Amino acid sequence: MSKIIATQGLGKRYGAVVALDKVDAVIDGKIIGLLGPNGAGKSTLLKALLGLITFDGDARVLGMSAATHGSEIRDRVGYMPEQEVFIAGMSAVELCTYAAELSGLPRVEAIQRAHAALYYAGLEDKRYQPIETYSTGMKQRVKLAQALVHDPQLLFLDEPTNGLDPHSRDDMLTLIAALPERRGCSIVLSTHLLPDVERICDQALIMHHGRVRFSGTIDELRGARGVDQGLAVEVKADAARLAEVLVAEGATCEVTSPVALVVDLPDGATNALVFRVAKAAGVQVRALHVRRESVEAAFLRVIGEAPKAAS
Amino acid sequence: MSGKIHDLGYQRYAGPRRAAAQRWRVIARNLISTSWKGWARYKVAMFGAMATTLAAGAAMFVLKDNPVFNAFGDITTRFSNAIIPKSIEWFSRAAFILSVTVGTRIVATDLGSGAFVFYFSRSTRPRDYVLGKFVGLAVLVSTLSLAGPLVLAIVRLALASDASDAAQEVAHLLPNIPKAIAVGLLGTFVYSTVPVAFSTFARSSRTAMALWAAYYLVLCGIVSEIGEHTHSSWVGALDIPTAIDAVAMKLFHLDLFTGRAGYIDLAPALISLLAQGTLATIVVVAQIRRAHGSGVGGQT
Repeated sequence: MSKIIATQGLGKRYGAVVALDKVDAVIDGKIIGLLGPNGAGKSTLLKALLGLITFDGDARVLGMSAATHGSEIRDRVGYMPEQEVFIAGMSAVELCTYAAELSGLPRVEAIQRAHAALYYAGLEDKRYQPIETYSTGMKQRVKLAQALVHDPQLLFLDEPTNGLDPHSRDDMLTLIAALPERRGCSIVLSTHLLPDVERICDQALIMHHGRVRFSGTIDELRGARGVDQGLAVEVKADAARLAEVLVAEGATCEVTSPVALVVDLPDGATNALVFRVAKAAGVQVRALHVRRESVEAAFLRVIGEAPKAAS
Repeated sequence: MSGKIHDLGYQRYAGPRRAAAQRWRVIARNLISTSWKGWARYKVAMFGAMATTLAAGAAMFVLKDNPVFNAFGDITTRFSNAIIPKSIEWFSRAAFILSVTVGTRIVATDLGSGAFVFYFSRSTRPRDYVLGKFVGLAVLVSTLSLAGPLVLAIVRLALASDASDAAQEVAHLLPNIPKAIAVGLLGTFVYSTVPVAFSTFARSSRTAMALWAAYYLVLCGIVSEIGEHTHSSWVGALDIPTAIDAVAMKLFHLDLFTGRAGYIDLAPALISLLAQGTLATIVVVAQIRRAHGSGVGGQT
C-alpha cells in the first residue's frame, strides 16, 4: 500500500526565492498536521501536491505522480482553503452540488451527497440560504462540506478553525477528528493553531525556510530531544527535603511549591530512584508523572526559535 | 449546530464519474441556470428580443408589400424582405444588455469571490473553465441574436406560401435561413467573447460592466461616427453593432447607402468582428491560465 504523500528532492524556486528546497518526506497517518511559520513553503507544497505548479524532483500523492496526474489527484483530494471560495448568489446546497458535479459525480448523486455533506457539517436547515448571509462559522462549515462532497480519499484543510469562536472551533475540530473513521479519508491539516494539532493530529510535518524540519508522530515530535522533559512529583509535605536527597543522587531539581517539585533524573536512572530516595527520606510521594513537552514548545524548538530547555 | 454529527448512513461513492473532458458542460449549465435567476440578468434581455421578434413579425405581415427606398430615392426591396436585416440592430441591443448583465459578470465575480480556488483545486482545467463559460454565455446570447432572426426568416417563408407563385417565392427566400443563422452566429460569437475579456480585467462586476459599456457605447460609437463621416469602411467596421448590421445588410442585399452601416463593406465588417472575438478569446485564455495555480493555498 502506497503512502499518502511521498516526496523526493521536491524543489521549487520563484526567481531567486527558494520556496521548496529538496523536500524529502514520506507522510502517512490519519490526521497529519502541516506546520510552519509564514513563508515556510506550506502553500507551495500544497500547490505542488495538487499538481498546480511545476516543480523539480518527485512528488506522489495517493501513489500518483503530482507532476503528471494532477487532475486525477484533485479528483481524489478535497481542499478546504483558508480564504473564501464561494460563488455569488449560490446557496450552500447549490454550491456543494456544483462542486460534486465538477468532480465528476452524476447530478442526482451530486445533489444527494451535497445534502449529506452539509448535514455532516451541521448546516441542516440553513443549507438553502445564500452563503453571503452566513456567519463566519457557517461559512467554514460550507467550506468543509464542499471539500468533502465528492468523497475524497485525502483532505487538505487550510486553517479550518480560523476566525471561529471557542465553541464553533471545538465543533469544527470534532467534525474533523471524526472524518477518518466515518469517511475513511486521511487529512492534512495546515494550521498555525498548535493546540488544534495537539488535539486531533497523530502525525506532524514541520517546514521552515522551504525545508522539512521534522516528520513523524506527535509523540516523536514531543520526544524529539531524546529525553522527556523531567518528572513532576507531588508529595504530602516537605518537597525541599526530597529535592535535597535527589540532588545528592545526581538529579537536578526545582521546587515549585512546598508539595511539588520538578526532577531531571541523572543518566541511566529510572523513576524508581525517586520512590527509593523518598522512602529513605521519609517523604510520602502522592503523584509522579512524566512532564511532556507541548507541541507548541516542540514546534518552536524544531524551527530553532525556542529558548534552551532548562537543565 | 451543537457539535452533533449527522451522517445519514454514509457510504463511499463507487459509481462512474463524468470524464474530465466533459466537465465544461457542468460549468456551462450552471452559468445558464444562475443567469435565469431574477429579472435583471437574462430575462430582461430575453423580453427585449421577444418584443423585437413580435414587432418585426407583425410589421412583416402588415407592411409586407410597402417599398423600401435607398439614400438615392430608388426602391430597393419590399418591406417584408428588409425587416430581417433591419431588425438585427434591435437584436444586437438585446444581446448587449445580456452581455452587460451576464457577460461582464462571468469572470469578474469569480475573481472577486475567490471562486477560482473553488474551480482549480478540483480537476477543472483552465480550458474547461473557459469553454464552459463561453459555451454557457453563447447559448444564452444565441437565444437572442440567433433565434430571433431565424424565427423571422421562417415567418417570411410562411408569408410567401400565400403568394400566387409560392413555390418560386419560397425557393427565392430559402437562403434567408442560412443567412439569418450566419448573422446570428456572428453576433453570438462577438457578444459571448468580447464582454468576457473585459470581465477578466476586473475583480468587481460593476467595474467590468463600466469597462465594457465604455468600450461598446463610447469608444465604438466615436469610431463609428468617424467612419460614417469619412466613409471609411475599415474605421466604421470597428464598431461592433454597426459591423453586425453591415454584415446583415450585405448578406440580405439591402443596399441603402445610408446610416452608419450603409457605408461598410462586407469584408471589413466580417474581419473586424472575427478579429475582435478572436482577440477577446485569446485574452480570456491567457488571463485564466495566469490565474490558474496562483490562487490555491495562498500566494507564495
